[in-house]
Amino acid sequence: MIQKSDDVIVRTVARSLMPFILIYGLYVVMHGHYSPGGGFQGGVILAAGFVLLTVTQGIERTRQHMSQKTACVISSVGLLIYAGIGALCLILGGRYLDYGRLSQLLQVDQPTARSLGILGVEIGVALGVMAVMCIIFFSIFAADETE
Amino acid sequence: MEVTLLIEATENAFRILEEARSHAAGIMDTTIELMAEEHRIIEEKKVRAIFTGARRRRARFQNFAGTACILFVFWVLLSGHFDLFHLTLGGLCAAFVAYFFHDLLFVNVRVGDIRTVVWRFIRYIPWLLGQILIANMHVAALVLRPKMPIRPRIITFKTKLETDISRVTLANSITLTPGTVTIDIREGEFYVHALSHLVAEELYGGEMEDRVAHIFMEGDHLYVQDVLDASRIYETLGV
Repeated sequence: MIQKSDDVIVRTVARSLMPFILIYGLYVVMHGHYSPGGGFQGGVILAAGFVLLTVTQGIERTRQHMSQKTACVISSVGLLIYAGIGALCLILGGRYLDYGRLSQLLQVDQPTARSLGILGVEIGVALGVMAVMCIIFFSIFAADETE
Repeated sequence: MEVTLLIEATENAFRILEEARSHAAGIMDTTIELMAEEHRIIEEKKVRAIFTGARRRRARFQNFAGTACILFVFWVLLSGHFDLFHLTLGGLCAAFVAYFFHDLLFVNVRVGDIRTVVWRFIRYIPWLLGQILIANMHVAALVLRPKMPIRPRIITFKTKLETDISRVTLANSITLTPGTVTIDIREGEFYVHALSHLVAEELYGGEMEDRVAHIFMEGDHLYVQDVLDASRIYETLGV
Protein backbone atom coordinates (compact mmCIF):
# COMPACT_ATOMS: atom_id res chain seq x y z
CA MET A 1 0.00 0.00 0.00
CA ILE A 2 1.50 3.28 -1.08
CA GLN A 3 0.47 6.14 1.09
CA LYS A 4 1.03 9.83 0.94
CA SER A 5 4.34 10.68 2.59
CA ASP A 6 3.85 12.24 6.01
CA ASP A 7 7.03 14.30 5.80
CA VAL A 8 6.18 17.81 4.76
CA ILE A 9 9.69 18.47 3.40
CA VAL A 10 9.67 15.43 1.13
CA ARG A 11 6.15 16.17 -0.05
CA THR A 12 6.73 19.82 -0.87
CA VAL A 13 10.13 19.37 -2.51
CA ALA A 14 8.87 16.47 -4.63
CA ARG A 15 5.85 18.49 -5.64
CA SER A 16 7.82 21.51 -6.78
CA LEU A 17 10.42 19.30 -8.47
CA MET A 18 7.83 17.54 -10.62
CA PRO A 19 7.51 20.18 -13.41
CA PHE A 20 11.30 20.28 -13.71
CA ILE A 21 11.49 16.50 -14.05
CA LEU A 22 8.91 16.64 -16.81
CA ILE A 23 10.67 19.43 -18.68
CA TYR A 24 13.95 17.52 -18.33
CA GLY A 25 12.29 14.42 -19.76
CA LEU A 26 10.93 16.45 -22.67
CA TYR A 27 14.37 17.97 -23.21
CA VAL A 28 15.91 14.48 -23.43
CA VAL A 29 13.22 13.48 -25.94
CA MET A 30 13.52 16.59 -28.10
CA HIS A 31 17.32 16.57 -28.24
CA GLY A 32 17.53 12.85 -28.91
CA HIS A 33 19.00 13.39 -32.38
CA TYR A 34 21.74 15.78 -31.12
CA SER A 35 22.85 14.39 -27.79
CA PRO A 36 22.48 11.18 -25.78
CA GLY A 37 18.90 10.37 -25.04
CA GLY A 38 15.80 9.86 -27.08
CA GLY A 39 12.32 8.49 -26.82
CA PHE A 40 12.95 5.56 -24.49
CA GLN A 41 15.12 7.41 -21.99
CA GLY A 42 12.95 10.52 -22.03
CA GLY A 43 9.79 8.48 -21.63
CA VAL A 44 11.22 6.71 -18.60
CA ILE A 45 12.20 10.05 -17.05
CA LEU A 46 8.67 11.35 -17.59
CA ALA A 47 7.22 8.20 -16.03
CA ALA A 48 9.63 8.54 -13.10
CA GLY A 49 8.10 11.95 -12.45
CA PHE A 50 4.68 10.35 -12.08
CA VAL A 51 6.07 7.61 -9.87
CA LEU A 52 7.62 10.27 -7.62
CA LEU A 53 4.30 12.09 -7.52
CA THR A 54 2.51 8.87 -6.55
CA VAL A 55 4.86 7.88 -3.73
CA THR A 56 4.85 11.36 -2.21
CA GLN A 57 1.36 12.75 -2.85
CA GLY A 58 -0.62 9.51 -2.85
CA ILE A 59 -2.50 7.83 -5.68
CA GLU A 60 -5.56 10.07 -5.52
CA ARG A 61 -3.63 13.25 -6.25
CA THR A 62 -1.75 11.55 -9.09
CA ARG A 63 -4.98 10.36 -10.67
CA GLN A 64 -6.00 13.98 -11.13
CA HIS A 65 -3.10 14.32 -13.54
CA MET A 66 -2.74 10.83 -14.97
CA SER A 67 -5.44 8.24 -14.57
CA GLN A 68 -5.20 4.68 -15.80
CA LYS A 69 -7.58 5.51 -18.62
CA THR A 70 -5.58 8.55 -19.77
CA ALA A 71 -2.43 6.44 -19.69
CA CYS A 72 -4.08 3.83 -21.90
CA VAL A 73 -5.16 6.49 -24.39
CA ILE A 74 -1.71 8.13 -24.42
CA SER A 75 0.06 4.81 -24.99
CA SER A 76 -2.19 4.10 -27.97
CA VAL A 77 -1.59 7.61 -29.34
CA GLY A 78 2.17 7.12 -28.99
CA LEU A 79 2.06 3.85 -30.90
CA LEU A 80 -0.18 5.48 -33.52
CA ILE A 81 2.35 8.29 -34.06
CA TYR A 82 5.22 5.82 -34.43
CA ALA A 83 3.38 3.44 -36.75
CA GLY A 84 1.71 6.32 -38.58
CA ILE A 85 5.01 7.96 -39.53
CA GLY A 86 6.36 4.59 -40.62
CA ALA A 87 3.29 3.84 -42.70
CA LEU A 88 3.34 7.36 -44.18
CA CYS A 89 6.82 6.68 -45.54
CA LEU A 90 5.52 3.38 -46.92
CA ILE A 91 2.58 5.14 -48.61
CA LEU A 92 4.90 7.79 -50.11
CA GLY A 93 6.79 5.03 -51.88
CA GLY A 94 9.74 4.38 -49.61
CA ARG A 95 10.49 1.68 -47.06
CA TYR A 96 8.97 1.58 -43.59
CA LEU A 97 10.40 4.53 -41.54
CA ASP A 98 12.35 5.79 -44.59
CA TYR A 99 12.13 9.43 -43.45
CA GLY A 100 13.66 10.85 -46.62
CA ARG A 101 10.33 10.36 -48.38
CA LEU A 102 8.68 12.83 -46.02
CA SER A 103 10.49 15.68 -47.81
CA GLN A 104 7.77 15.65 -50.51
CA LEU A 105 5.07 16.07 -47.89
CA LEU A 106 6.76 18.66 -45.67
CA GLN A 107 8.22 20.72 -48.55
CA VAL A 108 11.74 20.65 -47.06
CA ASP A 109 15.03 19.13 -48.20
CA GLN A 110 15.94 15.52 -47.36
CA PRO A 111 18.19 16.00 -44.28
CA THR A 112 15.65 18.28 -42.56
CA ALA A 113 12.88 15.81 -43.38
CA ARG A 114 14.92 12.98 -41.83
CA SER A 115 15.58 15.07 -38.71
CA LEU A 116 11.89 15.96 -38.32
CA GLY A 117 10.84 12.37 -38.97
CA ILE A 118 13.17 11.10 -36.27
CA LEU A 119 11.84 13.75 -33.89
CA GLY A 120 8.25 12.66 -34.57
CA VAL A 121 9.11 9.01 -33.98
CA GLU A 122 10.94 9.93 -30.77
CA ILE A 123 7.86 11.76 -29.49
CA GLY A 124 5.67 8.77 -30.29
CA VAL A 125 8.07 6.38 -28.54
CA ALA A 126 8.34 8.68 -25.52
CA LEU A 127 4.56 8.92 -25.13
CA GLY A 128 4.20 5.15 -25.42
CA VAL A 129 6.99 4.38 -22.97
CA MET A 130 5.78 6.94 -20.44
CA ALA A 131 2.19 5.75 -20.54
CA VAL A 132 3.11 2.04 -20.38
CA MET A 133 5.47 2.64 -17.45
CA CYS A 134 2.67 4.49 -15.66
CA ILE A 135 0.22 1.66 -16.39
CA ILE A 136 2.69 -0.92 -15.05
CA PHE A 137 3.21 1.11 -11.89
CA PHE A 138 -0.49 1.73 -11.36
CA SER A 139 -1.25 -1.96 -11.95
CA ILE A 140 1.32 -3.06 -9.37
CA PHE A 141 -0.17 -0.55 -6.97
CA ALA A 142 -3.74 -1.70 -7.68
CA ALA A 143 -2.76 -5.37 -7.19
CA ASP A 144 -1.24 -4.32 -3.87
CA GLU A 145 -4.42 -2.52 -2.93
CA THR A 146 -6.78 -5.44 -3.47
CA GLU A 147 -4.89 -7.79 -1.19
CA MET B 1 -88.48 45.48 10.42
CA GLU B 2 -87.39 42.57 8.31
CA VAL B 3 -86.31 44.95 5.57
CA THR B 4 -83.92 46.86 7.94
CA LEU B 5 -82.45 43.57 9.15
CA LEU B 6 -81.91 42.54 5.57
CA ILE B 7 -80.19 45.85 4.76
CA GLU B 8 -77.94 45.53 7.82
CA ALA B 9 -77.01 41.98 6.87
CA THR B 10 -76.16 43.10 3.34
CA GLU B 11 -74.04 45.97 4.68
CA ASN B 12 -72.20 43.57 6.99
CA ALA B 13 -71.58 41.24 4.14
CA PHE B 14 -70.21 44.08 2.01
CA ARG B 15 -67.93 45.19 4.87
CA ILE B 16 -66.56 41.71 5.32
CA LEU B 17 -65.95 41.42 1.61
CA GLU B 18 -64.15 44.77 1.61
CA GLU B 19 -61.91 43.65 4.50
CA ALA B 20 -61.14 40.42 2.74
CA ARG B 21 -60.19 42.31 -0.37
CA SER B 22 -57.78 44.62 1.48
CA HIS B 23 -56.25 41.59 3.23
CA ALA B 24 -55.77 39.88 -0.08
CA ALA B 25 -54.18 42.99 -1.54
CA GLY B 26 -51.81 43.18 1.47
CA ILE B 27 -50.81 39.55 1.04
CA MET B 28 -50.24 40.09 -2.66
CA ASP B 29 -48.00 43.09 -1.93
CA THR B 30 -45.93 41.11 0.59
CA THR B 31 -45.55 38.25 -1.83
CA ILE B 32 -44.33 40.58 -4.54
CA GLU B 33 -41.86 42.18 -2.12
CA LEU B 34 -40.58 38.77 -1.03
CA MET B 35 -40.14 37.66 -4.59
CA ALA B 36 -38.23 40.83 -5.43
CA GLU B 37 -35.99 40.26 -2.40
CA GLU B 38 -35.31 36.68 -3.40
CA HIS B 39 -34.53 37.74 -6.93
CA ARG B 40 -32.09 40.35 -5.63
CA ILE B 41 -30.31 37.79 -3.43
CA ILE B 42 -29.99 35.38 -6.35
CA GLU B 43 -28.57 38.16 -8.54
CA GLU B 44 -26.06 39.10 -5.83
CA LYS B 45 -24.97 35.48 -5.48
CA LYS B 46 -24.49 35.25 -9.23
CA VAL B 47 -22.34 38.39 -9.28
CA ARG B 48 -20.26 37.10 -6.39
CA ALA B 49 -19.78 33.74 -8.13
CA ILE B 50 -18.61 35.51 -11.27
CA PHE B 51 -16.22 37.59 -9.19
CA THR B 52 -14.65 34.64 -7.32
CA GLY B 53 -14.57 32.63 -10.55
CA ALA B 54 -12.65 35.44 -12.21
CA ARG B 55 -10.27 35.61 -9.26
CA ARG B 56 -9.66 31.89 -9.39
CA ARG B 57 -9.09 32.06 -13.11
CA ARG B 58 -6.67 34.93 -12.61
CA ALA B 59 -4.75 32.98 -9.96
CA ARG B 60 -4.64 29.98 -12.24
CA PHE B 61 -3.37 32.10 -15.09
CA GLN B 62 -0.69 33.62 -12.88
CA ASN B 63 0.39 30.15 -11.77
CA PHE B 64 0.50 29.05 -15.38
CA ALA B 65 2.49 32.07 -16.57
CA GLY B 66 4.97 31.89 -13.68
CA THR B 67 5.55 28.16 -14.09
CA ALA B 68 5.92 28.50 -17.87
CA CYS B 69 8.51 31.29 -17.55
CA ILE B 70 10.62 29.36 -15.03
CA LEU B 71 10.40 26.16 -17.05
CA PHE B 72 11.40 27.98 -20.24
CA VAL B 73 14.50 29.42 -18.54
CA PHE B 74 15.33 25.91 -17.30
CA TRP B 75 14.91 24.55 -20.84
CA VAL B 76 17.24 27.18 -22.32
CA LEU B 77 19.84 26.38 -19.64
CA LEU B 78 19.63 22.67 -20.51
CA SER B 79 19.37 22.96 -24.26
CA GLY B 80 22.18 25.27 -25.32
CA HIS B 81 20.70 25.50 -28.83
CA PHE B 82 19.51 29.03 -29.47
CA ASP B 83 18.01 28.63 -32.94
CA LEU B 84 14.36 29.40 -33.50
CA PHE B 85 13.33 25.76 -33.87
CA HIS B 86 14.64 24.66 -30.49
CA LEU B 87 13.40 27.77 -28.70
CA THR B 88 9.94 27.19 -30.16
CA LEU B 89 10.06 23.57 -29.04
CA GLY B 90 11.10 24.74 -25.58
CA GLY B 91 8.30 27.27 -25.44
CA LEU B 92 5.76 24.64 -26.47
CA CYS B 93 7.05 22.11 -23.93
CA ALA B 94 7.12 24.70 -21.12
CA ALA B 95 3.58 25.83 -21.95
CA PHE B 96 2.39 22.22 -22.16
CA VAL B 97 3.86 21.21 -18.79
CA ALA B 98 2.77 24.47 -17.16
CA TYR B 99 -0.77 24.03 -18.45
CA PHE B 100 -1.22 20.56 -17.01
CA PHE B 101 0.87 20.99 -13.85
CA HIS B 102 0.34 24.64 -12.92
CA ASP B 103 -0.88 23.64 -9.45
CA LEU B 104 2.36 21.89 -8.44
CA LEU B 105 5.03 24.57 -8.33
CA PHE B 106 3.05 27.48 -6.93
CA VAL B 107 0.41 26.17 -4.61
CA ASN B 108 -0.85 28.14 -1.60
CA VAL B 109 0.31 31.40 -3.12
CA ARG B 110 -2.37 33.97 -2.48
CA VAL B 111 -3.80 35.88 -5.40
CA GLY B 112 -1.62 38.59 -6.85
CA ASP B 113 1.38 37.70 -4.74
CA ILE B 114 3.57 35.61 -7.02
CA ARG B 115 5.77 38.41 -8.32
CA THR B 116 6.33 39.80 -4.83
CA VAL B 117 7.11 36.35 -3.46
CA VAL B 118 9.58 35.59 -6.24
CA TRP B 119 11.28 38.96 -5.88
CA ARG B 120 11.56 38.65 -2.10
CA PHE B 121 12.86 35.11 -2.46
CA ILE B 122 15.59 36.30 -4.83
CA ARG B 123 16.57 39.02 -2.36
CA TYR B 124 16.65 36.44 0.45
CA ILE B 125 19.34 34.34 -1.29
CA PRO B 126 22.31 36.75 -0.79
CA TRP B 127 21.48 37.05 2.91
CA LEU B 128 21.34 33.25 3.19
CA LEU B 129 24.70 32.92 1.42
CA GLY B 130 26.18 35.42 3.91
CA GLN B 131 24.78 33.41 6.83
CA ILE B 132 26.24 30.21 5.35
CA LEU B 133 29.66 31.87 5.06
CA ILE B 134 29.59 33.07 8.67
CA ALA B 135 28.41 29.70 9.97
CA ASN B 136 31.06 27.96 7.88
CA MET B 137 33.83 29.94 9.53
CA HIS B 138 32.32 29.33 12.96
CA VAL B 139 32.18 25.57 12.44
CA ALA B 140 35.69 25.53 10.95
CA ALA B 141 36.99 27.42 13.99
CA LEU B 142 35.23 24.93 16.27
CA VAL B 143 36.64 21.80 14.69
CA LEU B 144 40.13 23.16 14.10
CA ARG B 145 40.63 23.95 17.78
CA PRO B 146 42.47 21.03 19.43
CA LYS B 147 39.94 20.73 22.24
CA MET B 148 37.03 20.79 19.77
CA PRO B 149 34.49 22.54 22.05
CA ILE B 150 31.32 21.26 20.38
CA ARG B 151 28.14 20.80 22.40
CA PRO B 152 25.71 18.87 20.18
CA ARG B 153 22.08 19.16 21.12
CA ILE B 154 18.64 18.73 19.65
CA ILE B 155 16.51 21.81 19.98
CA THR B 156 12.78 22.00 19.48
CA PHE B 157 10.83 25.06 18.61
CA LYS B 158 7.33 25.77 17.50
CA THR B 159 6.98 27.77 14.34
CA LYS B 160 4.14 30.04 13.42
CA LEU B 161 4.80 29.66 9.69
CA GLU B 162 1.53 28.43 8.30
CA THR B 163 2.08 27.09 4.82
CA ASP B 164 4.04 24.01 3.83
CA ILE B 165 6.23 25.87 1.40
CA SER B 166 7.41 28.43 3.96
CA ARG B 167 8.16 25.68 6.49
CA VAL B 168 10.15 23.78 3.89
CA THR B 169 12.07 26.91 2.92
CA LEU B 170 12.99 27.49 6.56
CA ALA B 171 13.93 23.83 7.08
CA ASN B 172 16.18 23.80 4.03
CA SER B 173 17.76 27.11 5.00
CA ILE B 174 18.55 25.67 8.43
CA THR B 175 20.00 22.52 6.88
CA LEU B 176 22.08 24.54 4.40
CA THR B 177 23.62 26.54 7.21
CA PRO B 178 26.60 24.57 8.57
CA GLY B 179 26.25 23.42 12.16
CA THR B 180 22.49 22.93 12.07
CA VAL B 181 20.41 20.19 10.50
CA THR B 182 16.63 19.99 10.45
CA ILE B 183 15.66 16.48 11.49
CA ASP B 184 11.90 16.69 11.25
CA ILE B 185 8.87 18.92 11.15
CA ARG B 186 5.84 17.60 12.96
CA GLU B 187 2.69 19.68 13.34
CA GLY B 188 4.54 22.95 13.15
CA GLU B 189 7.31 21.83 15.47
CA PHE B 190 10.88 21.87 14.23
CA TYR B 191 13.44 19.36 15.51
CA VAL B 192 16.87 20.75 14.78
CA HIS B 193 20.26 19.29 15.57
CA ALA B 194 22.69 22.04 16.51
CA LEU B 195 26.44 21.61 16.85
CA SER B 196 27.19 24.28 19.40
CA HIS B 197 25.64 26.71 21.80
CA LEU B 198 26.17 29.66 19.48
CA VAL B 199 24.33 28.28 16.45
CA ALA B 200 21.45 27.19 18.68
CA GLU B 201 21.26 30.71 20.10
CA GLU B 202 21.15 32.07 16.59
CA LEU B 203 18.16 29.88 15.79
CA TYR B 204 16.33 31.08 18.88
CA GLY B 205 16.90 34.62 17.70
CA GLY B 206 14.48 33.70 14.91
CA GLU B 207 15.86 36.12 12.35
CA MET B 208 15.79 33.45 9.65
CA GLU B 209 12.19 32.61 10.43
CA ASP B 210 11.22 36.26 10.32
CA ARG B 211 12.82 36.63 6.94
CA VAL B 212 11.12 33.52 5.57
CA ALA B 213 7.82 34.78 6.95
CA HIS B 214 8.53 38.05 5.20
CA ILE B 215 9.02 36.25 1.88
CA PHE B 216 5.71 34.45 2.13
CA MET B 217 3.92 37.38 3.79
CA GLU B 218 3.10 35.70 7.07
CA GLY B 219 3.07 36.89 10.63
CA ASP B 220 6.32 36.57 12.48
CA HIS B 221 6.21 34.71 15.78
CA LEU B 222 8.62 32.38 17.42
CA TYR B 223 8.82 31.04 20.87
CA VAL B 224 11.16 28.51 22.28
CA GLN B 225 9.34 25.58 23.74
CA ASP B 226 11.93 23.17 24.86
CA VAL B 227 15.64 22.53 24.89
CA LEU B 228 16.97 19.01 24.97
CA ASP B 229 20.61 18.78 25.90
CA ALA B 230 21.93 15.97 23.73
CA SER B 231 25.51 16.15 24.99
CA ARG B 232 24.80 13.53 27.67
CA ILE B 233 23.47 11.17 25.04
CA TYR B 234 26.61 11.66 23.04
CA GLU B 235 28.75 11.05 26.13
CA THR B 236 26.94 7.80 26.76
CA LEU B 237 27.46 6.77 23.19
CA GLY B 238 31.16 7.56 23.58
CA VAL B 239 31.30 9.92 20.62
